[in-house]
Amino acid sequence: MKTPMPLQSACKEFEEDLVLYYYGETSEEERGRVGQHLFGCSRCQGFLGDLQRLLPQMARTEELPQSFWDNYYRETVAKLAQQDERKHWWRALIPSIKIWMVPAFGTVAMAVLVIGLLFGKGNLSSFTVRPTEKIPHEILADENQLQFFESMDLLESLGKLEAQDEQKPEAVNTQSSRVKLQSGIA
Amino acid sequence: MTNPDELRDEQLVELCRQGERHYFDVLVRRYMEKAFRIAFDFTRNTETAKDLSQDAFLRAFANINQFDGRSSFYTWFYRIVVNLCLDHARRQHRVGWESLDRITEEPGERKELADSTFAPDQQAIASEAQRRVDQTLETMPNKQRTAFLLRNHQGLSIADVAKVMKTTEGTVRVYLHRAVAALRQSLLELV
Repeated sequence: MKTPMPLQSACKEFEEDLVLYYYGETSEEERGRVGQHLFGCSRCQGFLGDLQRLLPQMARTEELPQSFWDNYYRETVAKLAQQDERKHWWRALIPSIKIWMVPAFGTVAMAVLVIGLLFGKGNLSSFTVRPTEKIPHEILADENQLQFFESMDLLESLGKLEAQDEQKPEAVNTQSSRVKLQSGIA
Repeated sequence: MTNPDELRDEQLVELCRQGERHYFDVLVRRYMEKAFRIAFDFTRNTETAKDLSQDAFLRAFANINQFDGRSSFYTWFYRIVVNLCLDHARRQHRVGWESLDRITEEPGERKELADSTFAPDQQAIASEAQRRVDQTLETMPNKQRTAFLLRNHQGLSIADVAKVMKTTEGTVRVYLHRAVAALRQSLLELV
């Protein structure tokens, strides 16, 4: 930017029109009206002068060498070709496929499907059997612990049963002694 | 046989639709500079502008069947470029604009920042003015910035800017005026 001078203020009601006037985007009628105002308004003249001075400088860009554009074009065309190849990769297969192959492939696919359904029916165990060798050690350890606790429960149950069994003879003895006592009293 | 360079955009597009991919290369040659310039205005980085504008060509070609011909090819294509630039800015959180410091260190990018025809103090003020302009453009709402860059930097008519932005000419006029007012304000603060 060549100049540090700030933009001057314009008359508020003409500011937008002056921007459009600068860009040549006003109708003939508007242009005449703005031109007439500009003729007698130094502020708006200054504002328009600043637009004419500053706005083109903001848009100024560095000229790039022709080699840049040559390279740009080559790269873009190569990228387009790559994209086109990726998009139509299946077209490369078409010449190798004969027309009679299409129904033949279809028939084979159907046959494989039917055979699979017929022979595979009722033999789902192979899909449901759990491959134990693939179970992680941590889970196996947990499973062992669970089995251990289950067996502990069983042992406790056995212990209770044994205790009950031990109590039963005593109960029987107690009952017989009670009978004896009653008969004695009698 | 007609020289492809003499064909109109719409004719080239029609040939591309018919599978004649190489006709798109003519459109690349025709619009590569404009596409790059638009992308550069938004990103301020040569490599990013190159990538984005090339990506715009790839997208345009991939979606060539979606071009309905109601607008001209270039307004349809510039819209793709602008959208890619705005998406890039959103993704990068406007990192491209943060690289302005780097750009000011590279005299090749913006020679007007340090014009040797001015005294050092004038150059310093001019650099500060440029920095403020860039900063104002950076913080400007996307629609204002797009309208300003397309009209002021690329010379598109307000009618074409409206087509690119898919809005009315009246709205573009408002955006343009607001953008100029914001830039003016940023320079007023310099005094």
